[in-house]
Amino acid sequence: MSENRPPDPLARLGEEIDKARAERVRRQPVVGDRSAMQQGLGLGVRIGIELVVAIVVSTGLGWAIDRWFGTRPWGMIVLFFLGVAAGMLNVYRAVTGVRGPVGYRSSDAGTTAPKGQWDDEDC
Amino acid sequence: MAIEIRPLEQFTVERLIPLHIGGVDVSYTNAAFLMTIAVMLVTALIMLGTRKHALIPGRWQSLAEMSYEFVADMVESNVGHAGQQFFPFVFTLFMFILFANFLGMVPYSFAVTGQIVVTFALAAVVFIGVTIVGIVRHGFHFLRLFVPQGVPAVLLILLVPIELLSYCIRPFTLSIRLFANILAGHTMLAIFAGFAASIGLFGIFPLGINILLVALEVLVAALQAYVFVILTCLYLSDAINLH
Repeated sequence: MSENRPPDPLARLGEEIDKARAERVRRQPVVGDRSAMQQGLGLGVRIGIELVVAIVVSTGLGWAIDRWFGTRPWGMIVLFFLGVAAGMLNVYRAVTGVRGPVGYRSSDAGTTAPKGQWDDEDC
Repeated sequence: MAIEIRPLEQFTVERLIPLHIGGVDVSYTNAAFLMTIAVMLVTALIMLGTRKHALIPGRWQSLAEMSYEFVADMVESNVGHAGQQFFPFVFTLFMFILFANFLGMVPYSFAVTGQIVVTFALAAVVFIGVTIVGIVRHGFHFLRLFVPQGVPAVLLILLVPIELLSYCIRPFTLSIRLFANILAGHTMLAIFAGFAASIGLFGIFPLGINILLVALEVLVAALQAYVFVILTCLYLSDAINLH
């Protein structure tokens, strides 16, 4: 929080806190699992709806296009299959790139900053 | 003595202060009221938490700092350092959804995030904002997001529409996920509560289930806020760290 370097007693306090934290982590190895569980839960909740919504929305879009342009069955048919593909693509990406970005590129942005990197100095 | 169960009644939007401006209904509803409370509570938490600037934080300050660090950490690890300039937006979004969800859990209140209008408005803001950020940052190059690399030109005819569609579907999945979870959860609570009220002494069993469901709903409330915001982060990351 402060911009200049902390005075000595503060640095010592920081060291002590770090040591105590390390001690606690060592004594309870279960704690590390929590962030993984949180991510797993988040992911599970995410992908459940992804496929369904993709299909429903794009089929609806196809129906609307048909209404506007009078191309009766074709817009709906084409967009239904595109929607299935898009939904599967979304699910596939969500599953394969849990921490990484949703796109295609290799995970360069997603793997930075391991947990616990944040200190008061960074804020 | 049949008790009528109307589990969806709780989602009725009522006009507290009817107001029409130029033929448009802009009444102050119970949803608007709950959102006002959510905003005020978030503001109060942050104001209280940052009032003292104590080196060793008190309870309020800890709470404020914890939420700050949680979101800052999320932005840092999902978007990268360039994403920190969007931290205020992400933080506001997270706190608002979290408080709206939790306020919905208070008996006799109103689940704002169970309204598709609210969640879709939030998702649309995210979607439009992310698109603008991408276009401002990369200009015309932003359209390369829809063109996967290393693919034969023939397949592009098929792949680009799929990419485009999967991009345009984002606001829908984002809003429907939050809305459907809150709606389903609260409806389920109301149904089980109705059972408990209508079958007399045996109502103790649905009541027990309801207690467990309330715990589940608290989890869902926090989790859905988290999911909404982490997806916002991922979308931002897409727009900022373009390939």
